[in-house]
Amino acid sequence: MILALETSCDDTCAAVVTDDGRVLSNVISSQEVHDAYGGVVPEIASRQHLQLMNVVIDDALTRAGVTLDDIRAIAVTRGPGLVGALLIGMATAKSIAVARGLPLIPVDHLQGHIAANFLAPDPLEPPFVCLVASGGHTFLARVDDHRSFTVLGRTLDDAAGEALDKGARLLGLPFPGGPHIERLAAAGDPGAFAFPLAHGVPGLDMSFAGLKTALLYTVRDLDAVEGAGGAAARAADLAAAYQHAVVEQLTRRVARALDEAGLDQLAIGGGVAANGLLRARLTQLAPTIHIPERALCTDNAAMIASAARHLPPASPETVPGLDAYATDRAGSLAQGTPS
Amino acid sequence: MIVLGLDTATADTCVGLYSDTEGLELELARHHRPAPGERPGHAQQLLSLAAAVLHEASLTWTAIDRIAVGVGPGTFTGLRIGVASARALAQASGTQLAGVSTLQALANGAVGDDAPVLACIDARRGEVFVGAWAGGTCLLQTRAVAPADLPALVAGLGGDQLLTVGDGAVRYRDAFGDTANIPADEDRRHHVHGLAVCRLARFAPVADRDALMPDYVRAPDAVRRPRSSATA
Ligand SMILES: [Zn+2]
Repeated sequence: MILALETSCDDTCAAVVTDDGRVLSNVISSQEVHDAYGGVVPEIASRQHLQLMNVVIDDALTRAGVTLDDIRAIAVTRGPGLVGALLIGMATAKSIAVARGLPLIPVDHLQGHIAANFLAPDPLEPPFVCLVASGGHTFLARVDDHRSFTVLGRTLDDAAGEALDKGARLLGLPFPGGPHIERLAAAGDPGAFAFPLAHGVPGLDMSFAGLKTALLYTVRDLDAVEGAGGAAARAADLAAAYQHAVVEQLTRRVARALDEAGLDQLAIGGGVAANGLLRARLTQLAPTIHIPERALCTDNAAMIASAARHLPPASPETVPGLDAYATDRAGSLAQGTPS
Repeated sequence: MIVLGLDTATADTCVGLYSDTEGLELELARHHRPAPGERPGHAQQLLSLAAAVLHEASLTWTAIDRIAVGVGPGTFTGLRIGVASARALAQASGTQLAGVSTLQALANGAVGDDAPVLACIDARRGEVFVGAWAGGTCLLQTRAVAPADLPALVAGLGGDQLLTVGDGAVRYRDAFGDTANIPADEDRRHHVHGLAVCRLARFAPVADRDALMPDYVRAPDAVRRPRSSATA
């Protein structure tokens, strides 16, 4: 079985997954300390990762009912993400691997999101189209095998989850914004305002920055015309129309991607996959839609272990010198062949 | 006792392997010093150097009795790589842990006797981390100070020609005027030595793994990552 670590953003994660893809434990320690800042503070995230990493590993082993003696390989997220945060997971994973003489399998975080779909008891077999939408990344991929993916389209600016966070902020809602927008939108009319759907963006790429700007101007105009509190009075309608625009843009791109790829299997991942409206819209698009449970959609280590099941370990002499990487490497998103 | 010492608080990556076990006396060290302008290579260097000293001594990881790590103060990311590695090595092998002050290791490595030493590590943002020791006795507790305060600090420690070492002493040499005895820039005493970490750790209390944290001295800046910054 594989012990995997994931520390690319603000969740300290460790998981134990069997070689046939069963999740024995999936521990996610969320750092709520960032909510007060309205976003992730990298230095605070790194300090928390260091504090929590070893106890999270102990917890994952205990919950799985195993010890390090039962582990055959260590997997770890190498990037992309916050480098200072990634380095905690990397230093920890490398040290355990070296000290125990275990193979180390470095995993690309985005490949991890896709590999969440390979886990038991209900693994999805390629080929399929996968939408990954979170606060950190939003892209569409074609998945033909278990170890790589081809990017079909990606956001050119903000991530979908980031758009929801920013929208929530403009509406005076707490961070993270997605669940709050969804709750408020339930009482609103999605047709009350027409927010942009990025029609001008070619192909399967996406853009959410203009949407946020449109909301900003709409709020400003409402307050100007109807006096202070004008926008607040329409908050439910604004939330509903804003959420509709995010979901609609994603849905149209997914529909086109399935069409162009000639595939009828769709998988979704990332925190935005929890959005009820998005799930409902996408379910209408494909005969087979695969949505891992919520704890496997948001950042977690079980998905890293899942990816590692299909990837080669780093050669032992290179393990001590392995470094993290911050951004999508040229090969990672452009060609979809994370190593 | 076989002690593996690690320090990544400065730009250097420092490793020492010490043993006073009869028939296995060891004093080995490996250091990586980035060239001027080169970034520190803590993440790539630390375990590589540690594996190299163990290989040189024909020892395995399980032979180590105690893993010692410099807890700073110093660069935050570097410190975390050292502490995370030490903690995980201990987690993997059940070895004891000990944390030592990087400033004290710097002072300890600079003299062989009980003479007083002021250790200075560049804290960036116009400040210096300082601490002073005479043998095992602390003369000045770790703190961050402005370079302009350094001469008064030296005077308070007995003044004239106090041996003063570290990258902070080199960088702010001018601020000291002629109050301190600062070796030439290229003198090895300005660098942490892996064996100094080991020597101090022999007498340090065993650290609780989950309580072993860097001595940051400074609180984190609450700067959000750009993706969540205020809009428009
Ligand atoms: Zn993610």
